[in-house]
Amino acid sequence: MWISALNRKLLREAWRLRGQIVTISIVLASGMICFISMRGTYASLAVSKHEYYDRYRFADVFARAERVPESVARRIEALPGVAVVETRVAEEVSLPIDGMERPAYGRLLSLPSTRPPATNALYLRRGRYPEAGKSDEIVLLDSFAEAHGLVPGHRVPVVVNGKRRSLRVVGIALSPEFVYAIRPGALVDDPKRHAVLWMERSALASAFQLDGAFNDVTLRLAPGASEQGVRVAVDRILARYGGIGSIGRKDQVSNRILSQELDQLGVLSTMIPAVFLGVTAFLVNLVLGRMIRLQRPEIATLKAIGYSNREVGGHYLGLVTVVLVPACVVGLAGGFFLGRVVLGLYGRTFRFPTLEFQLTPGLMIMAVVVSAIAALGGALGAVRAAVRLPPAEAMQPPAPARYRRSLFERLGLDVLFGPGGMMVARELTRRPFRTLLSSFGIAGAVSLLILSHFALDSLLGYFEGTFRREQRQDLAVVFARPVAPRVVGQLARLPGVVTAEGIRAVPVRIVNEHRSRASVIMGLPAEHTLRRLIARGGAEVTIPDDGVVLTKTLADVLGLRIGDRPEIEVREGDRRTVRPVVVGFVEDSIGLSIYARAGLLAELEGDLGATSSALLRVDAREVEQVEAALRRSPSIIDISDAAGDMQRLLDMNSSIMNVWTVISIALSGGIVFGVVYNNARIGLAAWARELASLRVLGFNIREISAILLASQAIEVALAVPAGLWLGRVWAEWFMSSMDPETFRWAVVVAPRTYLLSAVVTVLAAMVSALWVRRNLDTLDLVAVLKARE
Amino acid sequence: MQIVPNGKARAPVIAGSPILSCTGLKKVYRMGDVDVRALDGVSFELRAGEFLVLLGVSGSGKSTLLNILGGLDVPSDGRVFFGTEELTLAGEDELTAYRRHHVGFVFQFYNLIPSLTARENVALVTEIADDPLDPEEALGLVGLGERLDHFPSQLSGGEQQRVAIARAIAKRPSVLLCDEPTGALDFRTGILVLEVLERVNHELGTATAVITHNAPIAAVADRVVTLSDGRIQESHQNTARARAAELRW
Repeated sequence: MWISALNRKLLREAWRLRGQIVTISIVLASGMICFISMRGTYASLAVSKHEYYDRYRFADVFARAERVPESVARRIEALPGVAVVETRVAEEVSLPIDGMERPAYGRLLSLPSTRPPATNALYLRRGRYPEAGKSDEIVLLDSFAEAHGLVPGHRVPVVVNGKRRSLRVVGIALSPEFVYAIRPGALVDDPKRHAVLWMERSALASAFQLDGAFNDVTLRLAPGASEQGVRVAVDRILARYGGIGSIGRKDQVSNRILSQELDQLGVLSTMIPAVFLGVTAFLVNLVLGRMIRLQRPEIATLKAIGYSNREVGGHYLGLVTVVLVPACVVGLAGGFFLGRVVLGLYGRTFRFPTLEFQLTPGLMIMAVVVSAIAALGGALGAVRAAVRLPPAEAMQPPAPARYRRSLFERLGLDVLFGPGGMMVARELTRRPFRTLLSSFGIAGAVSLLILSHFALDSLLGYFEGTFRREQRQDLAVVFARPVAPRVVGQLARLPGVVTAEGIRAVPVRIVNEHRSRASVIMGLPAEHTLRRLIARGGAEVTIPDDGVVLTKTLADVLGLRIGDRPEIEVREGDRRTVRPVVVGFVEDSIGLSIYARAGLLAELEGDLGATSSALLRVDAREVEQVEAALRRSPSIIDISDAAGDMQRLLDMNSSIMNVWTVISIALSGGIVFGVVYNNARIGLAAWARELASLRVLGFNIREISAILLASQAIEVALAVPAGLWLGRVWAEWFMSSMDPETFRWAVVVAPRTYLLSAVVTVLAAMVSALWVRRNLDTLDLVAVLKARE
Repeated sequence: MQIVPNGKARAPVIAGSPILSCTGLKKVYRMGDVDVRALDGVSFELRAGEFLVLLGVSGSGKSTLLNILGGLDVPSDGRVFFGTEELTLAGEDELTAYRRHHVGFVFQFYNLIPSLTARENVALVTEIADDPLDPEEALGLVGLGERLDHFPSQLSGGEQQRVAIARAIAKRPSVLLCDEPTGALDFRTGILVLEVLERVNHELGTATAVITHNAPIAAVADRVVTLSDGRIQESHQNTARARAAELRW
């Protein structure tokens, strides 16, 4: 193969610089791997979501009510902007599956008798739809079926409206409504305990005495329709039938969590590769800049013999190609591989009919272009210097480096360092910008480690702090329908139950000036010990008879301050409106809840105080007996222990986090290694003569190693605290970019995360520095001293 | 004549006609607050086929003159002509083309590319020139036909300088400009290099300008120009050219 002399020069120099080129390529490839895998996952999820929603007619508006005559559907259909209306019966059931300590929670939804649903169509993975009139046939959500190994033909026990029945699975399906399936009130998805069942409409309606009526309606809007306008109209129509307020797609649980996950991924897939690309640009600049400074005479010669500025510039930019090509190959292949793994992990939690990692030409081109821009951007300054160098000037050796007395000397600290220390200090202060950039690159790596761990730390921080202080119950039970307060008394008398407190949840709309939100008032008994409200700083907030306490997030969203009186509109019963005074905030809790005294709610509802759920404190030795007793009660729809849920969430996260820890250590370690290695190599090239002279003067290897590596040590020492701080700032910024209404808690970075980040950085730097140091052992004193720079 | 021909055009090669000339050449460098006059009104010409020695002590302006004649530098004042083409009006691209097609440079410190072999160093030029010699042929002319695949670090100083000469002549330049070509060499090797230059001048008819501070070298020239403080002090024609092998210093 014919290769021009100029390209031979390039290849031989690349070979000579192979260590540096490989490390830069690794950093760049890591950036590409992150970019391709995260962006690709993001795009694949986004495309799947879009196609799934579109093809399976995911609804735009969801509304529930108590009992609405079917004829009302026509009024909704006639509303301007409404394209499709699907009414259905939706009820909660429990599934006392054999071998499970608690029944699973289920949502039982009706399917039209003779046609597929007009909204929220099912993707039948196996089997068929229930036949009309067959009251024991159901289609089951695939995640639940999979968790229990259920297939068409199997029977499952279901408590329907207080009666235990055995229903036959005829189909396994996915639904755009349940891409992420989570029980109401649960903190984490648990496929084993969350079922969705679809039953033929007439069978379901007769089980709940809803013949000729519906209690749930979903709509698809015409293009360009105002969602807000339609929802207001729908709410108005459903108000007299016990409507509790519609929600848009944005607030639909599954979609909200999926969208939020996509948002996070979108932010991270930009932030993380940016660090790698920045470091790449810096390293390319460092290495190429050094090479060009050393090659002044060669540049002059090339120009003198007739090479144009463009050819000379192109020649040095060729080195970028040498970095770029292997990085692209590894980056694209690695990104594709990692992307499939990551998407596979997402696919376990987010259920789509098809989820394929899409390495589109567009994504590949973008990855290559962005990487090329980073590498070329780094090269540009250095190459411009080569191009601009007038040939006559390049003939002359560069002026000797200008050193000045450093700050240390002016402060009189030079006596502490000795001449070796002064060499280091002057070198660092001569190139303060390079020192800062090196430190910044390493700090970027440190911050990546923080960034990859803070989510778990924050979750743990929330769990260990707020959650444990606020939620002191062992078990929480949810009733199928609100019950009389005496039921709580009965629960309290169960053997093994120490304390039982009822909670009443009432759907409301809270309004402050032009801002409003759908929320829930949690009515707590006057003497409540199991559910405590904790303000920032740890003080417990007490609620007066006529006041309410809000989560800080809700208060911020509505712009409410203590003493304000927002309008709260109850969305059930008589639909009264009140203006209670805001007396406090629960600072660190998640969500948009309102807390009040149960008495206030009873007054609002005009009843004696029904209870929708109960918190139980149970003797640890008798938890099983208590649960067994609770399971027998048909009025209880769900039993949960939030602490157990939280623990499962942490367990699940920590196993994912362990994988991520290894990946992040490898990636960050790679950056640190790359920066330190390249700096040390350049230091060695620049100082070989001085170090050899020192050896001749009688310095030993250890002493000259210290001089060579001290500047790297100082850069790392600057970078570690800066990186820890930067990581924290990034984490805060990342959290603030999330939707506060669905996902935001206080950023916590645990001391062990700081420690891990610092240790990984220092170790990677040490390995890298020692790697370069080996060269000093074989430093050929005579050759170095004879060489003309 | 065009500086940027489609590659084939050459400067007029009528023996004795001026191939490179300048009038009133001045070059002023600003060093700190002081203006240094490296050239102060130099008028001079190099004729086709001529072997010219520019003699002068260090700092007399001879390297500056050579750089300007070779299109590596531009004068502060005055005009430079290559044939009838005015170099002082040429832009960056035209100067590059001038160097690429018409000028061969030989430097005191050889300026070889250390990562390229002798053959590849010459190929650097032959790959971009029109109608060049083969690298092997050029290296054969300087007596290095056996050392084609050696890297500069594997060659002696004299051999490196001969590679540099081969590189300079491989494009069949109209003008060969040599800046202290023997300056870094011992006497014996220096003579060897001068012999090569002599041979190139004789066999290829390349107009050759050698700058040196070493007065005895002037004996090999057709004409000797002496520079001092940026001015031409003296110019004389040697009645008979000595052979390089006869020189002693």
